[in-house]
Amino acid sequence: MKILSFILSLSLLTAICYGQPEQKKKYKPKRTDNYIHMGGIRFGMDVTRPFQNYWTKGNRYGTEFSADMELWPNLYPVFETGYDVMKIKTDYVDYAGNGSYSRVGIDYNFLQAQTKKDKDIFYMGLRYGFTLARQQVNQYKIDSYWGAITGDFGNQSYFAHWAEFVLGIKGEIFHNFYMGWTIRGKFKLNNKDLKMPPIYFIPGYGKGEKGFNLDFTYSVYYNIPWDFRKSVGVSKKVVAKQVKVK
Amino acid sequence: MKRFLYLICILTVAMACKEVFEPPPQALLQATFYNSSTKLAMSSLVLAQGVGIDSPVFRDSVRFNMLFPLTIKDTTRYIIWLDSKSDSITFIHETKQKYASMETGFYYEYKLRSVRFTKNRIDSIKIVDSLITTKWNENIKLYIKP
Repeated sequence: MKILSFILSLSLLTAICYGQPEQKKKYKPKRTDNYIHMGGIRFGMDVTRPFQNYWTKGNRYGTEFSADMELWPNLYPVFETGYDVMKIKTDYVDYAGNGSYSRVGIDYNFLQAQTKKDKDIFYMGLRYGFTLARQQVNQYKIDSYWGAITGDFGNQSYFAHWAEFVLGIKGEIFHNFYMGWTIRGKFKLNNKDLKMPPIYFIPGYGKGEKGFNLDFTYSVYYNIPWDFRKSVGVSKKVVAKQVKVK
Repeated sequence: MKRFLYLICILTVAMACKEVFEPPPQALLQATFYNSSTKLAMSSLVLAQGVGIDSPVFRDSVRFNMLFPLTIKDTTRYIIWLDSKSDSITFIHETKQKYASMETGFYYEYKLRSVRFTKNRIDSIKIVDSLITTKWNENIKLYIKP
């Protein structure tokens, strides 16, 4: 009886499965802009870095430059490098941290170009960032009934690295001139444990105590209109012709 | 457009505001007074002063408990007057520097090893919690003779 009921339920299940309408296969149209939109290298400068103290605690400022190029259609390898400084001076702590940092990564453009002249991009990307930095507590003060205690912590050097997920736009405002913003989600990968005091500031990343930092950047760019592909192609042709003549 | 301008003004004012940084927290030893015969909590007129310090921690106030700041050395000594009868208390402790945040600063935490005291008004002292942290809680029970 059990076997019979099992066979019955199995055949019922099979009938239900066959009775389901076949799911339509999703058709994803292929991109029509599978070509290099932007020849040459685009250099950029982040205009927000010198003014970070307006939205961060303490006095934080720096500079950042970037370079990217469309190596493959809609794929832009990126290199970013900068210098970041953080200073805090209160009644209780006098802190200074600074260092240079770099990021390497790649952006993918989601915005399909309508015409060949259309160079605006909306992109998502990934970065790997690293820094060599140092920090110093020049003086600290602890108020107590037994009298104020002052002290300092010497220079501490450290390496830190992190990963970033970026989302942004770059629009061509004039010929070869671009502007654009980026939202960055930064995940700390690892940093050295300095014991006392711990790492407070990681240049390019932000607060070292946090495992995740959100950042916003706004940059201006100039695309040097030198198409390395053409020049490479031309030189090859010239070499080939010279060989034929000989 | 007006709303946008208002927003810009508010943001500018907010950015121009001076940052406020909190002072670092303090770890204090909390002593609660108990009647030595009934073992019930009691109040007492208290005056306490650190040895070598000119000003008292508490000046003639009726209290159920007291918060003692400790030194960064291994021992902290107080003279305490309970209803005008004086006793000396010496706390023997370990001291450890702690980090609150770079905006706030540093502080000390302690581990109480033992307590020595005279027995004019104090009957006995019992260590309840030897860790003295910034979360103030009862560290010692101070039994007073009725």
